Amino acid sequence: MFFSFFEKFKKKRNFAKLKDNSFSYLFDEDKSGEYIVFDTETTGLNPKMDEILSIGAVKIRENKILTSQTFEVYLKNSKEISSKSIQIHRIRPIDLKNAKEPETAIKEFLEFIGSRPLVGYYLEFDVEMINKYIRPFLGISLPNKMIEVSELYFDKTISLIPQGNIDLRFDTILKNCAVPNMGGHNAVNDAIMTAMIYLKLTKEKLNDRSPKETNL
Amino acid sequence: MSILDQRKLIESIHPFELLSSLTLDNLMKKIDIAYYPKDTLLISKNLPSIAFYIVIKGSVTELIDDEIHSVFGAGDSFDANALIYGTCEGRFIVDEDLICYEIKKDDFLDLMQDKRVQSYFLQNFVTRHQHLKDYDAQSSLTPFLMSKVSDMYLHNACIVAPGETIYNALLKMKELKASAILVQAQEELFIVTDTDLRNKVLLGKNSVDDSIMTIASSRAITIDINDFLFNALLLMTHNTIKRVVVKQKGEVKGVLEQLDLLSYFANHSYLVAVQIDKAKNVEDLKNIQSDLKNLLISLHTKGVKCRYITKLVSTLNIKMYKKVFDMCVEADLQDKCALIVMGSEGREEQSVKTDQDNALIVKDGVDIELFSEPMLKLNSYLLELGFPPCAGDVMVSNPFWRREVHDYKELIDTWMNSLGEVNLQALSIFLDAKCVCGDCTLLDELAEYLHSNFHARDDVLAHMAKSVLNFDTPLSMFSSFVLEKNHSNKLDLKKGGIFALVHGVRVLALQYEIKETNTISRIKKLNNRGVIDKNFATELIESFDTLSSIRLKAMLGAKDLEECNYINPKKLQKNQMDLLKDSFKIINKFKKFMIFHFHLNMVA
Repeated sequence: MFFSFFEKFKKKRNFAKLKDNSFSYLFDEDKSGEYIVFDTETTGLNPKMDEILSIGAVKIRENKILTSQTFEVYLKNSKEISSKSIQIHRIRPIDLKNAKEPETAIKEFLEFIGSRPLVGYYLEFDVEMINKYIRPFLGISLPNKMIEVSELYFDKTISLIPQGNIDLRFDTILKNCAVPNMGGHNAVNDAIMTAMIYLKLTKEKLNDRSPKETNL
Repeated sequence: MSILDQRKLIESIHPFELLSSLTLDNLMKKIDIAYYPKDTLLISKNLPSIAFYIVIKGSVTELIDDEIHSVFGAGDSFDANALIYGTCEGRFIVDEDLICYEIKKDDFLDLMQDKRVQSYFLQNFVTRHQHLKDYDAQSSLTPFLMSKVSDMYLHNACIVAPGETIYNALLKMKELKASAILVQAQEELFIVTDTDLRNKVLLGKNSVDDSIMTIASSRAITIDINDFLFNALLLMTHNTIKRVVVKQKGEVKGVLEQLDLLSYFANHSYLVAVQIDKAKNVEDLKNIQSDLKNLLISLHTKGVKCRYITKLVSTLNIKMYKKVFDMCVEADLQDKCALIVMGSEGREEQSVKTDQDNALIVKDGVDIELFSEPMLKLNSYLLELGFPPCAGDVMVSNPFWRREVHDYKELIDTWMNSLGEVNLQALSIFLDAKCVCGDCTLLDELAEYLHSNFHARDDVLAHMAKSVLNFDTPLSMFSSFVLEKNHSNKLDLKKGGIFALVHGVRVLALQYEIKETNTISRIKKLNNRGVIDKNFATELIESFDTLSSIRLKAMLGAKDLEECNYINPKKLQKNQMDLLKDSFKIINKFKKFMIFHFHLNMVA
């Protein structure tokens, strides 16, 4: 009870800081029933220093991943990308040829997500990265509700294994959830795989294609 | 980037690679990924299909009348019919948590505007089978043995009247640069070769002024111009001849030379045949065995239909039998008995030697003891040549399978009257009997006796037919395999499909007194008699071919005999897997036909 009150309070304070009113929709109550799964590729793991290279996101509605409405954007970078990070995200300078100005890209992303809840793997990091970009021109941090899949996975697994460590590495979760590894390490693919994990962890009780229709 | 990955996946699924790049691009924008947990009902009679599903991971079972009809695993897609016709007989249930692509109904129907995609989904079983097989052939080596006689260079035919002098005939032959002289005597066509000229004119007493007919001894063997080249090879191998006359609509078009054919094939089937003929002892024959195996492998990789390979191998094996028979049985005893092969050898369906089933029929009144020593010798030779021994001891070395004709008739009576497992099995083996050497009328007599005895004995037939149902078609096994619940990761092709088909067809052949032993020939005959319709017959033949060819592949790769009937469906290529599934569906259909035909559900 107190927690939700606190959340509300935080949201209100966040809203008060909003510089540009055309983005107030981010604070609206979400009625779409959809979720956003997103992932970012960055130049490194330090939100203070590093920059976003690309953002990939997909929507989830009920039990479907709407890959027909995939969001993918590349961001222009201020510094040269280190060769070490290229080995991880496989984004070469040439791949950023069609990249957008960071502000434009982030605006498009905000438009895509609206006030929908966000789902991700180690979402905190990705959100922190996004916040780094929106704070300067909007004054706020992302107000959306957040769902962490590794947490869902943890809750589910902990009841099965009361003691001992739970391996929360992405590949392990992927394997244990029997989600196909789509390979190709990039933002959209990672988002799709995360979405599959999310569906797997949350939709395990669905007895019919659509719950409205009667079973034979 | 990721859209490209997904695109690649879709593209790898037949028939989507047929789509133009633009259509595919548009399609990619319409595909969603869906997740369905185990036991979700996707489509049923009351739940019309809303999308076309392509499985990414997991599996879906299609049930018709609560029987497993089909199982869809990664890379499979379903169900076009439900979308096109708007109804569905079966129930599609998620068997293992499913992640799949969904193409919405309207988008899918749009896709069907593409003629090639449409034809793929709308075709019936046989044409789709053919389609898939063609696709298979494209991707593997060129099926050049599928070429026809018409593809070959044909030599000029030098045809002369029977009254022509040898000299004039030779002039004409030289003029046409022909390799042999054909003599047209009324309806018959004779051939004069260099050997005839050498033996009968140069070395013999004929003069060049004699009429050509005096030296024309052998009838020309002909083949239709539209026949497969492979059959020409068979003809030459079988008759040990060097040329066949090619005809088109009854008219001579030219002569096909063995040399040309061989250079075309670049393999040694003819040579193997000649080697067998020339072999003087078992050692020689033994050396030929390895050639046979190589021949088999090379034909298979060249994409020759399985039934042609087995035919060729059978022809060569029979030559082998004849040779061994000649070595063991003295000339004056040879026409007093008949050596028969049974089981798969009798049906001419043995490619890799898996076992030997043979027997000896002795003329009534001839002392059977005369044969015991030669037969033991024959058996030892066969074993030495690599014919594996028969597990059931159905071999000439066993006195049980060396009998006089009347003795065999008594045996048939025993088989008829007791319906024991062992007797029925022996009878089944005997039904496939084919005479390889000796006096073949002895076997004919027994076959006739068998048929007349079985006339109108539907009760016995039904008992025999029942074993068709002994083994389940592995579609259910297949599904458990997909689920990885099965302890062995393989399925048995012989028990699962081939046995039911071969045995069922065998019983039907007995009922309709069909003398053919080969399964495909039997099916064709059954079709001619109107027992099964043309469509079903074609389906059966194609299924049989598919199963045998997958089995042959397994056999060639197997290390021991135990292994060779088992295949791991996961290791098959996608389209092979489809072919296999389709074939098993036909086997199920055939089983239902047998149940209906023999009222098997009434037989205890």
